[in-house]
Amino acid sequence: MSPRVLHRPELSADELQQVRWLLGGLLTLLGVGTVVYMDIEAWTLMVIAAGATLAVLYRPGLPARLPAWVHTLAFPGIVAFFAADLWLKAEVLPAMVRLDMLLLLYRSVTYRRRREDLQIIVLGLFLIVVAGVLTVSLLFALHLLVYTACALALLLVVTLGDGGAPGPSGPVVPGETPAWAQGATWRPLLRRVRAVLDWRVLLLGALLFAGVVGVTALLFLAIPRFQLESSMFLDRIITKKARSGFTDTIRFGDVSEIQQDNSVALSVDVSDQGQIPSAPYWRMLVLDAYADGTFRTSRGLRHQEFEAPQTGTQLRGTLRPRPGEPVVWTFFLESGVSRYLPLLGPFESLRFRDVQNVSAAPRLAVLALRDEPVSMTAYRVEGFDLSPALPDPTFAQAWRRRQETGARTFLQAALPEFSRPADRAALDRALAAATDGQKLPAGEFARRVSEWLKANHGYSLAPVIPGGDGDPLVRWLVSREPGHCELFAGSFVLLARAAGFPARIITGFRGGSWNGYSNNYTIRNADAHAWAEIFDEGSGAWLRADPLAVAAAMEHDTNRGEAAVAARLDRSWKARLDSLRVFWYRRIVSFDQQSQVETAAAVKDAATTTVRALRARLVALSSSLHDWATAPWDASRLLTVAGGLAAAAGLAWAWLRFGRDRWSGWSRGRGGRRGDPVRREAGRWLHLLSGYGAGAEERQAVIADLQRVRFGPQPTWPAPEKLFRRARQAWRDLRRQRSAARR
Amino acid sequence: MNLDATWSGPGDRRGRPRFTWSGLLWTLIYPPHGQRILPTVPGLVLIGLAFGIGTAAYNSASNILFITLALLLTCLVLSGVLSWLNFRGLRWRLQLAPQLRAGHDTVVALELANLKRVLPTYGLWFEFAARPVTAPGRAHADPAGAGSGRAVRAALARAEASEQRGRTSLPRRLDPWGEARVEWVIRPPRRGRLRVELASVGSLFPFGFLRKDLGTDLAEEVVVWPAPAAYRWHPVATARRTLGHERLARAGTGGDLLSLRRYAPGDSHRLVHWKASARTGTLLVRQFAQESAEGLSLWLRTDAGAWPRPEQFELLVSFAASVAEDLFRAGRLLDVAIDAEPPGPVRRVHELERLLDRLAYVQPRSEIDGTVLPPAARHNLITFAPDGARGVVALIDGQLVAAA
Repeated sequence: MSPRVLHRPELSADELQQVRWLLGGLLTLLGVGTVVYMDIEAWTLMVIAAGATLAVLYRPGLPARLPAWVHTLAFPGIVAFFAADLWLKAEVLPAMVRLDMLLLLYRSVTYRRRREDLQIIVLGLFLIVVAGVLTVSLLFALHLLVYTACALALLLVVTLGDGGAPGPSGPVVPGETPAWAQGATWRPLLRRVRAVLDWRVLLLGALLFAGVVGVTALLFLAIPRFQLESSMFLDRIITKKARSGFTDTIRFGDVSEIQQDNSVALSVDVSDQGQIPSAPYWRMLVLDAYADGTFRTSRGLRHQEFEAPQTGTQLRGTLRPRPGEPVVWTFFLESGVSRYLPLLGPFESLRFRDVQNVSAAPRLAVLALRDEPVSMTAYRVEGFDLSPALPDPTFAQAWRRRQETGARTFLQAALPEFSRPADRAALDRALAAATDGQKLPAGEFARRVSEWLKANHGYSLAPVIPGGDGDPLVRWLVSREPGHCELFAGSFVLLARAAGFPARIITGFRGGSWNGYSNNYTIRNADAHAWAEIFDEGSGAWLRADPLAVAAAMEHDTNRGEAAVAARLDRSWKARLDSLRVFWYRRIVSFDQQSQVETAAAVKDAATTTVRALRARLVALSSSLHDWATAPWDASRLLTVAGGLAAAAGLAWAWLRFGRDRWSGWSRGRGGRRGDPVRREAGRWLHLLSGYGAGAEERQAVIADLQRVRFGPQPTWPAPEKLFRRARQAWRDLRRQRSAARR
Repeated sequence: MNLDATWSGPGDRRGRPRFTWSGLLWTLIYPPHGQRILPTVPGLVLIGLAFGIGTAAYNSASNILFITLALLLTCLVLSGVLSWLNFRGLRWRLQLAPQLRAGHDTVVALELANLKRVLPTYGLWFEFAARPVTAPGRAHADPAGAGSGRAVRAALARAEASEQRGRTSLPRRLDPWGEARVEWVIRPPRRGRLRVELASVGSLFPFGFLRKDLGTDLAEEVVVWPAPAAYRWHPVATARRTLGHERLARAGTGGDLLSLRRYAPGDSHRLVHWKASARTGTLLVRQFAQESAEGLSLWLRTDAGAWPRPEQFELLVSFAASVAEDLFRAGRLLDVAIDAEPPGPVRRVHELERLLDRLAYVQPRSEIDGTVLPPAARHNLITFAPDGARGVVALIDGQLVAAA
């Protein structure tokens, strides 16, 4: 066989074991790392497992120091821990996750054979899949890809390390340090691995992995889907825990605290960009009761407004379908934001991606899920009413008839019971100052009070509430200290109620940015906001009153669509990353049977269009060639053609002369070097002489010697100069014989 | 060694059908003969995982689970592709000596070559098998046992018992354009014809999910010479017989080529027999005959009536072969006759090899012409006779000279 290849070094069995140990540790770290975004109480275990894994990675000899009783008691101890965990906390999935982590911990700190390596892979995969199902996070995709690459690498190393033959691998003796772990150091190992790896094999491996991702995507699209809508789901066996500030009880500062977080809370797709408002208000909660610095949704309002919970994917809204194609808004609400769903107002219909248990309060334009979602929640809403006024005929009717029905208490109009009469007096004085003592209609009242509040208070996320007795909101109201949106909205509500208007606080998000890459709205937690609504008896509707955005509210109807998008366009790197998340939600998480049909139709359309375009281009090309060939030929055209042919011939010659050898050098691992010139010269003579079959004995001898120079080891070569002279002579003889034969 | 053995395997281009995509697809559906793909324990775990995750995915309509399912299935596909790449461009050929010796360890070598340009080959193992080839005349139908399951099972068990199997792994990477050699050591149990074959080439590469075995039709048939027998000369008779009347060819400085022997330091380079050296892979020198020597003849009778016990007959053949070899090495063997055949001279190496080849196949014969006389009825003729139920003795002119 030809010795034309540079022989690369090879990892020894011990080095393969070290790589195996490294990859096993890495898989353990990746597995236990899922706790970071799984929201399960296993942080202590994660820290212990990660620390122990890092320690044994740093010093592979450590596992040998574990006393024998640890191995004896390991599995009984782990099982006992699991049983106790299950019994004490009664949470199946978290207990299983902790059990899995314990097993990973034990496996990572003991020497492993093939079977134990396989266990590590399966245990880690379980954690990653559970985390993915629970969170539906984009991080899961990245995590799974990295994990798959490491797991495949580990399996490859295991296969190579075991000599490729089936059968059990050698036993692991407790307390004994294997030879590979004695004095194992990672830096020389990494240098060795780098020396062993061939860039062409690496490139092929990278291409294959890209192929794995591509084939996975294709399989994902092609796997037939059936809408079983069964109820077996992991998130049903995990205890939910609200992480959000958007609950039905909000203390001053809660919303501002959410604003500190700049992560994405909500992504919204819109089917018609022309309908996008300039300053959208994404309402989530209505808070009507206030006491001592805390707003909340009163029990009475909840009983009064919320309908009985219903389970399903479809929900009919209060608006009747309007003629024409409805505007579709697709919401992707991140986990941990709230169980109250952001909405722009009343709607025609709503459809969830998964089956949900939901309570609706149509007059409040509020929807509440039964449970706090631990994963992303996707829903599509059709036909929003984007008006800043929320009609409430029922309340309007009750409000008008309040004189007839007697002294009925309206929850959304009642002032809190202040502990000090001075608070009420201070409130009245503030009201008189804001309105100049006039009796104003609701809209004008909202404008005047908002302006008064903005004139007296600046905006700050670190508000200062003056000390003293009495209600903190009233103290801030009568001061000139800066405040945040909750203080502004709360003060407005108190003033409105003091003036006799029903009013309430709304919490949710305001604004957002328009992602220029994925063409969707991105609303971050930093966009959290609180504003107020005041009831206008004249129109029978609740009017939005945002003391902090008077101008924006006024512009609402005049700045829509393209202008609104342009005003909020975001093409930053952050937006680029967010677009990945939206792609993940749109194309992966929300992929269903209908999407599959649409994808198939789109592929078919694209294929048809492409074939048509290609055919048209070919026809055009053929036609232009025909025109070109049949056009009159003159000297310049002939020169052009001749020049083109000469250039092509020159390129071909250059390839044969230089490129082919260079390419051959690259492909054979010589790094583009052209190889030994003596060998190449021998190859040239071989090519000349070997095309004439068997011939004279001398020529055969020359060919044999040339072959030895071309392919054989250098020490066996004959003198090349002499050999090439003989080859030249043989070639001349051949030519002479051929010419004589022709004569 | 058989240096002209032909290559075979996926990398052998001769006789291989031209690549077509339809052919490739067909081989995926209907694998070629001898090709077997079986899931290993990790493979079964992977399939079980895929099944469980698929069930959960359909029950929950969770796209996360569908992605995981797709990834697991892709890993299986990737495993198949890499395994195919691993075998691609690989060729092999068997190398073994043309004659083996019963009871002696022999190396069966397999030469491997990787004809791929970029990719190395990893983790192969080779299943070898060696089974005696039944002489055509001995294979006959068993009218009584034909169709009987027990008889078939017994025959299969006998065949299996007589078969030797072994596995050898390729311990290292086989680089692109690289060569390697793996060896399997066998010990042929009995003389005769032995078929050594490469039963399959297997691999768990790359991830150990699937065990892929490529059946091969690579086989070589070799002759197994009789095992050497331990015997002892009868000293008195031997001493007396040394003065025979037959001319004996002995090593000396005569003009006739007597035999070939291994090269020893000090031998003249002119005596090296280059052709034989190249053929055997060992440096051999010519040995010339000395004219004034006495010799012995050997006559082997395979009469089944005289040799009713198979073990005793085997001992006879081994004994005769050992005596013939020893006499040849001592330069005292003139010729050998088997049964009624005319005696053939055994003075050169190839004549000795031909004799051992004959002895490898010789079987007891029930029909021997009783009128046959000893070849030329010469003096110094060694014959063999049973010694009790197990032993064999060698006689010269009726006098005991050796016993085994």
